[in-house]
Amino acid sequence: MPSMATRQWMVTHEWMVKPMHQKEWIERRGVMIWIAETFTSLGAGLYLVSLFMNSWWGMLVGWLIIMFLKLPIHLAYFGKPWRFYRTMPPFSNAWKTSWFARGILFSVFFGTFAFIQLVIGQPDLANLIGHSVANPIYYTFGVLGGIFALGVGIYGGFIMNYIKGIPFWNQGLLPVVFILAGVADGFGLAMGIGLAGGDANVALAETGSRYLLMINVLLIITYLISAGYTSSVAKLSIQELLKGPSAFMFWVGLIILGLAIPAVVSVVSVFSGGEASSILLIIAIASHTMGAFALKYCLLKVGIYRPLLPKVAAY
Amino acid sequence: MRWGMVINLVKCTRCHACIAACRIEHFLPLGMTWPRLIAWETNVPGEELTTLPVRCNQCKEAPCVEVCPAEATKKRPDGIVYVDNNICVGCRYCVVACPYQNRTFLSRDKDPGFFPGYQRTRFEKAGRKLYPHIAGTTEKCNFCMERIDAGMAKGLIPGKDREATPACVNTCQARALTFGDLDDPASEVSQLIKERNGFQLHPEYGTEPSVYYIDGKIGNAPSNTAPREAQTAAHMQHLSTMEARARQIFGKK
Repeated sequence: MPSMATRQWMVTHEWMVKPMHQKEWIERRGVMIWIAETFTSLGAGLYLVSLFMNSWWGMLVGWLIIMFLKLPIHLAYFGKPWRFYRTMPPFSNAWKTSWFARGILFSVFFGTFAFIQLVIGQPDLANLIGHSVANPIYYTFGVLGGIFALGVGIYGGFIMNYIKGIPFWNQGLLPVVFILAGVADGFGLAMGIGLAGGDANVALAETGSRYLLMINVLLIITYLISAGYTSSVAKLSIQELLKGPSAFMFWVGLIILGLAIPAVVSVVSVFSGGEASSILLIIAIASHTMGAFALKYCLLKVGIYRPLLPKVAAY
Repeated sequence: MRWGMVINLVKCTRCHACIAACRIEHFLPLGMTWPRLIAWETNVPGEELTTLPVRCNQCKEAPCVEVCPAEATKKRPDGIVYVDNNICVGCRYCVVACPYQNRTFLSRDKDPGFFPGYQRTRFEKAGRKLYPHIAGTTEKCNFCMERIDAGMAKGLIPGKDREATPACVNTCQARALTFGDLDDPASEVSQLIKERNGFQLHPEYGTEPSVYYIDGKIGNAPSNTAPREAQTAAHMQHLSTMEARARQIFGKK
């Protein structure tokens, strides 16, 4: 390589010359985005599942996760957290174009409506004011809370899917992955609520979890295959997931903990003719929740930008 | 009116003067760079080291404007996209969403002063008064809009009169940067783009950048790539012109 040797005096800057990872949302303080996004899935998913099962305790835990874990961590990530009000009307009309602004609005509306629903639905209060009065209010705000919980659970997918420079994220399926993963997480946590003595139906949650697991496996496979067809940079992201630096998190965190162990427990419960033992269920819930963290980590970590120079870097 | 820039890739001598001029003009903190000069080389024998000056493309359909949740990133009627640092919440969505990666988040550790651990110099203190940089917000090139506004208020023409022209364009010793109105078909930038088949970076994103490149080829971009001999000849001619100008200025033989 004589020609290269003669050029040793010049240091090549590889910034955006070769595919470059996004770092803002996963490294250093960006870790907060990863954690907040995972709590978004867990909280919104649990609320939706609990709404479906009419589990007051499940909805309460879901609401608490969103309001006291997701939102504060998200705000703490901001460079100027005390200016958060500027993302909402009347200070800003950015919700018309920005999924981030919409997400904040969804969270605020969800927090308000779900709070009213939870207060009205509290058994003692419902008895006090009478069920004929409490029930219509409870169901109305339940529907509103559910709609906005759906928004909270899905907006992260739209935020990432909008980014044109990162082909692995720029996929129409991403919001679907976000919401279905969230619902699966919700079923897992609902089992936990039921086991802890709450009002969630463990058998129903287990059945739901079983179907969602199968759907999510198919969805992840479909996502990876379809993303691989879109561009060579997306293919690079997939390679990183399958056999690169993020492979451990993908195979151990997402596939084994998030999907395989809950699936095995689910199969055991089917063949045992009822529910699996509590210990097995607790293991399944814990590994499922770790899988939720792994999924968001993998997605954020393998976000790779298409370079500015397509041919030079062969991308 | 839509301000734009044309960058001649053959004329650029990779001197980094545009970057220095921008740093001085805006008193940029150490960890902050608005324009950049990227360089790369390939293993292909005979291929030259290539450089590419990049800066915010001031996109007509700017993703950063659309994604900003606080409407802190705004687009002016003249096409300049700028950040209002008094509104920015520092969510960094724009930083991630920019497909050209031309935005920087100013964290506290990127602003340690020119001599970390010591007091700020008088130059820095003066700079902070003239051009405050707010840690925790996002920044980017704004085509020196203060210069443009001040110059136009005096009746000057950006791109022609130095006082109304971006600092990087003024300082480019190779005259590789040209600034002007893209909407005016008679302007120098429009003529250059038309005659020399100017091209943008990643036009497939639909962002319609206001920064165009001429006389070079970047990857498989649809450029007007002149034959290598013609490029070299143009570059040599340009260098000899510069040498003549230097002799004229400094009076040396």
